[in-house]
Parts: sequence; C-alpha cells; structure tokens
Amino acid sequence: MPSLIAFILAAGLPATLLLTAAGLGLGFIIGLGLALIRVYAEEDIAVLAQAYENVFRGIPVLVLMLLFLVSTGWPALFSAGLALGLRSGAYQSQIVRGAILSVSDTQVIAAYSLGMNRMQTARHIVLPQAFRLALPGWSNEYAVVTKDTAWAGAIGVLDMVKAVDYLIFENPLIFLPAILAVTIIYFFLTYPITRYAGEQMSKRLRSLGLGGNY
Amino acid sequence: MQHSHHAKAKLFESVSAGIHLIPDFRKEVSCKLSSGRQTLLVYLIIGLVIGFGLGYFVPGLIPEPQSDLVARIQARGTLIVGTEAGYPPFEMYNTTTQEYYGFDIDIAQLIADDLGVTLVVEDMAFDTLVAACKAGTVDLIIAAMFLTSDRAKELAFSVPYYTANEVMVVNASNPLEIDELADLAGYDVGVQTGTVEHDEVQDAINGGAAIILHTYASVAQMFIDLNSGVLDAVYVDEPVYDVYAELYTLRTIYKVEAPPMVAYCRWANPDLLAVIDGAITDAISDGTMATLVETWFG
Repeated sequence: MPSLIAFILAAGLPATLLLTAAGLGLGFIIGLGLALIRVYAEEDIAVLAQAYENVFRGIPVLVLMLLFLVSTGWPALFSAGLALGLRSGAYQSQIVRGAILSVSDTQVIAAYSLGMNRMQTARHIVLPQAFRLALPGWSNEYAVVTKDTAWAGAIGVLDMVKAVDYLIFENPLIFLPAILAVTIIYFFLTYPITRYAGEQMSKRLRSLGLGGNY
Repeated sequence: MQHSHHAKAKLFESVSAGIHLIPDFRKEVSCKLSSGRQTLLVYLIIGLVIGFGLGYFVPGLIPEPQSDLVARIQARGTLIVGTEAGYPPFEMYNTTTQEYYGFDIDIAQLIADDLGVTLVVEDMAFDTLVAACKAGTVDLIIAAMFLTSDRAKELAFSVPYYTANEVMVVNASNPLEIDELADLAGYDVGVQTGTVEHDEVQDAINGGAAIILHTYASVAQMFIDLNSGVLDAVYVDEPVYDVYAELYTLRTIYKVEAPPMVAYCRWANPDLLAVIDGAITDAISDGTMATLVETWFG
C-alpha cells in the first residue's frame, strides 16, 4: 500500500495540483468579475453574466474538456485547466454574489449617508466582508474542483486517477488496493481544507457577528 | 395639533418613500455617467473584447499551410504522436520507469529518428484520437488503428505496417461456438469504443441480430468483466488476445482477417506522410520490422 500511494503521488499529484490551481484561479477571476457585473451593472449587461453562468453550469466538465481537446489544437493539460476554470467561474460567481448580497443593507445605507459613492462603499465596506462570508462556499468549491480534476484523466492528462488506470492495466489484481489508495489521497487533499476554511471559519464568523441571523 | 399632524404626515410620507427606496438603493445611487451612456460604454468594451478574442482565435482555426509541418516539427524539436496506452502489446505504460513502450511506440520512434527529433506520446481515449489529430493536438496517430474508409475520409493514411486478425474470445470453460457474428444473438459482447470490431458488431445488430453490446474505453476492464462473467464474449485484435491469454484462461471461437494497420496524419501535411511512409518502408526492407514483430508478438 505505501509504495502504491507513493507511485500514485509521484506520477499524478503534480498534474492534479496544477489543474486545481488553474481551475480555482481562473474561476476566481471569472467569478469575481461576473458577480460584480450581476450586482452592480445595468440590467442589460447583467443578463450577459447570467447567460454565461447558465451555459457553464449546464455543461458537464468532461464534455467541456473534450470540446476543447478535439475542436481546437490545444494540448490536453491546457484544455483541462481551461475547462475547469470556466466551469468553476460560473459557480464561484454565485458564491461571491450571494456573499455580497448578504452584507446587511443597513451598512450600505450608512456608508451612503456618510457620503461614500458606490465604488467606495463596495471597496471599503462590502467586498471585505463579502470575501469573509464567501469562505465556506469557496472551501466547498475547492473540494469540487479537486475532485473534478479526475476528469482530465479521460483526455489523457497524467493525473492521479490516470496513474491508477496505468497501475491497474499493468496488474489487474491491484484494482482494489489502488482504488483505496487514491480514495485516501483525495480525502487528505480535501478534508483538511474544508474543515479549516469551512467549519472553523464559519465558527469565527459567527463569533464576529457575521454569521447571519438565525 | 393640526401642525403636529401635518408634520407627522410629512414624516410618514418621507419614511414610506424611503422604504420604497431601500430595495433599489444600490442602483439608485448612480455613477457620474448617465444610464444610456453607461450602457453604450459597456457595450463598446464588450464589443472590443469579443473583437480581440475572435481576432486571436480565428486565425488559429485556419488549417495550416502545406509543406510546413515537418519544418515546424524540426524547429520545435518534438514529434507529438497520439495513441491510446493500455493496448498490449502495441502501446503500454511502464509505471516503474514512467515511460510508454510497445510495438507502435517503437515505430513512432523510428519516424522521430528519421526527423531527428524527440518523441512525445500523447495518451487519450481511442475514439477521440481522430478528432484530436484533425484539430492539430497531435501530429500523427499510431495506435493499432485499422484502415477504414470512414477514417480515410478524415485523415491521410500511411502504408500498412502490420496486419492482424480479429478474434472473438470467450472463457475456456464456455462451450459457445459460432459461425458468424449474428450467432451471438442474446449474448453479452464487449468491444472497445471506436474500433472496427465495434462497427462490425453494430452492423450485425443493425442487420437484425439481438446482440447485447457493451462498449468499453479500456481493454483491461473488458477482460476483467469477461473473466468475472459479466460478458459472454469479447471481440478484439488477436495480439491483444495473445497477451491476455497469459493472464486468464481463454479461447477463441471466431477469427477473421482485419484491415491492415496504418498510421494517420492530416491530409494537409503530405510532407509528414512522406516521412512516415519512408520510415515504414525502410524498416520493412532492412529487416527492422521483422525484428520488431518478433520482439512484440513472439
């Protein structure tokens, strides 16, 4: 088992981490942009952001990756990262938008009554709080993107699941231990982050009075 | 009394007006530009972005000019070959050395040596290979692919480098016998997606035989299911059967000669096709091919 885990990590972990980082990073940029458009822009422009979200929440990740791989000449790793980023952007825009809208109205009215304009209110009052409120949602998105990187194995990127595929091919009897090994690895990738960023941060937010009213 | 009543009324009015304001206040406090100008500005920006985006991507969609690929490969220093690992003994992945190896890999290495570049193997699902080569993700395909008219419409093909048989494989304990594919009516048959075997069984089904077809992305999984009894029979190339016959107890009940195996590249690159043909014919004439067949197929 230890040598199995070592091989899977050595062969597959770099690609998995790279794809997770690319997916979350690109997703953050897209998601933040879309959320700001949907909250602050005119109706006509906000509709475009909503259209993007509807499209990329409706397409499975595998289909998107295959689309990029076979219709354009981009290499597999780039296609996978781009597909993950675009999909994650659609979901992250919902997270950020929900967080922005949950900053209480009274704070914003107070800011306006102090003479701040919309941009200043957003920069100094709303967004800092919104980012804190978005953290539990982001930790969930991290777990989702980490697990979605497994789809990249289908288009040929050597990630952890593809490494297991190769192992199983060489020795079919190693099927069950290999699957268990990769399950344990994924668990250790997702659980600490979701535990810390998700639950711990929720508790801290509640103690700071930002956890919502219930 | 009247005065305070009037004041209360005014207070009530302003508060109720304020309450109506609150849900929309984010959009009420507007920026300096008027609403119409704002919209126009944003549409202009979006138009610019779309324009630049199209300008960047569209030239990439234009097919490459002819007689350029070999020069570009040599400038790049790598030959990108598309294949589907996990198909013994043609292409496999060694987890210890973390390298691809196999009959097809050796042939690809011959071509890369002729060009004087390093070989890079791109592994992907078998049924996406043709589309990926057409799109330009890989330069050529060497994946134990038979020559079929459908594939020849999409991609240019080389001279054949190997001819195999297709066999129907069952467990050794299974007494099943067939004369033709239609005799498999009512049985669970496994094939790999996108292969010629897949097309042949599908044709038999379309011709009226009630064969229960199971398609797989990997042959290893297919043989696991055959061994466990999920499948009654599996239709594969004979060299694959030879490899798996060492792992499981199997026997063949049907054999037919397959179309020859060829390498594929894009029709727009006759220079690369010439290099591939040259490498294969040289290998056949100077005996390298015979050695390779001996090594990989026993």
